[in-house]
Amino acid sequence: MPVRQLSEAVVNRIAAGEVIERPASVVKELAENAIDAGATRVEIAIDGGGRRLIRVSDDGFGMTHADLDLAVERHATSKLAEDDLLDIRTLGFRGEALPSIGSVARLSITTRHAGEPHAWALSVDAGERSEIKPAALAAGTRVEVRDLFFATPARLKFLKSDRAESEAIRDVVRRLAMSRPEVAFTFLEEGRSPVTWAAALPGAHGQLARLADILGADFRENAVEFDQGREGLRIQGFAALPTLTRANSLGQYLFVNGRPVRDKLLIGAVRGAYADYLPRDRYPLLAVFITLDPHEVDVNVHPAKAEVRFRDPGLVRSLLVRSLQEALMRDGQRAASTGGSATIAAFRPALQPRRGWDWRRSTARPDPRGMPLATRGNTAFGFAEVAQAAFDVGAPSANVTLHEPASATLDQPLGAARAQVHENYIVAQTRDGLVIVDQHAAHERIVYERLKAALDKTGVARQILLIPEIVELDEADAERLAARAGELLRFGLAIEAFGAGAIAVRETPSLLGEVDARALLTDLAQHMAEWDEALPLERRLLHVSATMACHGSVRSGRRLKAEEMNALLREMEVTPNSGQCNHGRPTYVELKLTDIERLFGRT
Amino acid sequence: MKVTVERSALLKSLGHVHRVVERRNTIPILANVLIQAENAKLAFRATDLDLEVTETIPAEVGPSGATTVPAQMFYEIVRKLPEGAQIVLEASGDRAVLTIRAGRARFTLQTLPVSDFPDLAAGDMTHSFKVSAADLKRLIDKASFAISTEETRYYLNGIYLHAAGAAKAATLRAVATDGHRLAQVELPLPAGADGMPGIIIPRKTVGEVQRLIEDGEAEATIELSPGKIRFTIGDVVLTSKLIDGTFPDYGRVIPLGNNKELVVDKAEFEAAVDRVSTVSSERGRAVKLALTAGKLTLSVTNPDSGSATEELEVEYESDPLDIGFNSRYLLDIAAQIEGETAVLRLADPGSPTLIQDRESKGALYVLMPMRV
Repeated sequence: MPVRQLSEAVVNRIAAGEVIERPASVVKELAENAIDAGATRVEIAIDGGGRRLIRVSDDGFGMTHADLDLAVERHATSKLAEDDLLDIRTLGFRGEALPSIGSVARLSITTRHAGEPHAWALSVDAGERSEIKPAALAAGTRVEVRDLFFATPARLKFLKSDRAESEAIRDVVRRLAMSRPEVAFTFLEEGRSPVTWAAALPGAHGQLARLADILGADFRENAVEFDQGREGLRIQGFAALPTLTRANSLGQYLFVNGRPVRDKLLIGAVRGAYADYLPRDRYPLLAVFITLDPHEVDVNVHPAKAEVRFRDPGLVRSLLVRSLQEALMRDGQRAASTGGSATIAAFRPALQPRRGWDWRRSTARPDPRGMPLATRGNTAFGFAEVAQAAFDVGAPSANVTLHEPASATLDQPLGAARAQVHENYIVAQTRDGLVIVDQHAAHERIVYERLKAALDKTGVARQILLIPEIVELDEADAERLAARAGELLRFGLAIEAFGAGAIAVRETPSLLGEVDARALLTDLAQHMAEWDEALPLERRLLHVSATMACHGSVRSGRRLKAEEMNALLREMEVTPNSGQCNHGRPTYVELKLTDIERLFGRT
Repeated sequence: MKVTVERSALLKSLGHVHRVVERRNTIPILANVLIQAENAKLAFRATDLDLEVTETIPAEVGPSGATTVPAQMFYEIVRKLPEGAQIVLEASGDRAVLTIRAGRARFTLQTLPVSDFPDLAAGDMTHSFKVSAADLKRLIDKASFAISTEETRYYLNGIYLHAAGAAKAATLRAVATDGHRLAQVELPLPAGADGMPGIIIPRKTVGEVQRLIEDGEAEATIELSPGKIRFTIGDVVLTSKLIDGTFPDYGRVIPLGNNKELVVDKAEFEAAVDRVSTVSSERGRAVKLALTAGKLTLSVTNPDSGSATEELEVEYESDPLDIGFNSRYLLDIAAQIEGETAVLRLADPGSPTLIQDRESKGALYVLMPMRV
């Protein structure tokens, strides 16, 4: 068959395969256009998972007759003024979206530019464009896409269920909405009530408001702000306290110059920053906004622009880790209110016990005849001793009345200890609320921080091996490890290159006891290849410290005196990160007086 | 400060005081022992804020002084030094360390300021009396098994000590109960104890006093006030806070009118209960006592494993009666009876049973039955 030039319709359809993967890609392209057009309000309506209808309306600049004429042509865009792909300041720039959509669906565009007397409309039906006709529209642009992929039935077959496609669309809209708090978004979907995110103020406050709208009110209460800049790079955003986590990384959002992207750099950096607080399989919620000179980042990596490439990924990563760590240190003592509000939710007004409680008639209860003593309430001793009768020795009461707080301690952040209950929980009173502390978790964190500080100061003791262990790795891994020998030495692991593709382990951290050097090095090499850091080793050392901390701290079941409780509270106030135990659980929860009053309906 | 002291004397008294120190502390000074050297005497003091133990031993004291060092580590060091060693403790004012030297071994321990060390002993005592160590031991040993460990009834977590009876029959009485059983032990009221308030001595204090009187001292001095108690036994002074609560009116639960009297040979009875309870499960430890004239049948049935019965010849003349008890509780009480014969006074299967030693009337035990 001779070589021939493909027809434009076919070319567009091929291009559509890359740009328009599924309905969510259409929504993304159209909504980005709306934002690039300077819209302050964007309305997105879908039906049938976006298959039947996608409609995006905005109040942006609109297009003139001439613009509209060109807009549906391939590689036509208004967004790339100088043909400079290195200086991209808009979300789109490829000029592929509208023609691609037009080639696989029924597309109609209605737009009104301020300079035109009325609006113009144009429709494209599987690549067949109509004439531009006058139309009615007050301002902005409305793009309607019907019967997506009807021109490419094969693609239609690959779509998932309507539900899954809707969810993908919602995710796209959520990400865009997070990146532009100053734009109001309305999302309409067949069979669901409309969702509206009102325009928020620009700046961090508005950003948090929008994030809270999308990620839930929990996020607002448990987020810490970070904002750091260096060399034209600014990293800013909100991260959840380690007590608010998910089981997967879907709650982590990254925006580069306002563009929602997915990048494993983020996941790696977050993992590094939270290593000290979270178990491996928990992921904190967070939203990171990176702003940098467009020349420093290449967005033209992926047709859908879901990935970006930084010119200096190391700088971005280290700044991100540092910002997160500093934010967490700063707010490390803050207890998550998730616990507190969950507690509030768990409180129920006590039910009045019914008069004729029938356990009294159950066989477990001793025959009351011939029981000279009051036994009511004392027979229910649990399964073990159901049948054991007991004297009336008075009602149960915890020894809670003894500690009159000094007024000065009430002013401390964690207040004055009033009592210990269930031999593990310290109840403390503050000026405006009540704090409940898990004594073991709290003390464990304090001891752990102390151990860590000692480790930093004295360094990790190294055990010299009688016979150096030679670990064979692939060459790249071996080189990577050898290049970082200095850093590893700080953690007590002395290695050196041993010919090509082998590493000799001469000393290991004595804290780890007997070390499986091969497994450790393989683990390290893999992690370094991926994340460029020596986290596994550090994590192992910290894990040992954490175990030591656990054994060296006050156990639950130990009765503490008032002075000891207060000493613990004061120590918590000055210990970094004392709001979480080593497993990411809160060490204390705080109930504000207003919360307590709300429980009793007093507010 | 400079002191020279023989290892065994040091080890013995440190052994007394370091036990009080909790191994894990939120207040660093509580992990330390206070060392005071003065007038040829060396005193050690340790506290957990509820309990304070001070012991004084003779020593060769150079310049006097005081300091505090980690109790556990100090004790371990002294323990590992060779027997018969002369130990020199030295602290200079300007460095916060204590130097310990013995032979060619040398240790320095970091110290904490003496002024931070809590003082529990302050405050006046309102009553003071003496009891022989043997009497005190009996009073405490026989009651302590019944102390409750349940946190929610904190006022039962100790021994209730008070003056009972009037005039010539006045007694010093110790009572403990956990709601299932009760122990009451009495002594003639010692001089100086009349009018004493009823006090509750915490369990940990009871345990420490028990250990101290093991050493065979002749006499103990007890001083007390409504908030504190102090035991002086030989060279050791133990001061403890008391449980701030109201002990229940235990007199109501002692069944004085029980008319079915069962007299058993204590050793035989104890051994038989122990034997039949072998088949009982961990959870239900019930042993059934079936009484007919002159005969007691003990039986245990465990649906998971099997059953056991044993018959005993006993003195019993009342109507037949079946009653169940927790075998653990029966054994605990039997262990307190020193004489050869125990007397159980029963009423019915749902009422408390009174148990006494036939020979000695100074102690009585009450036990609630189980449904079997």
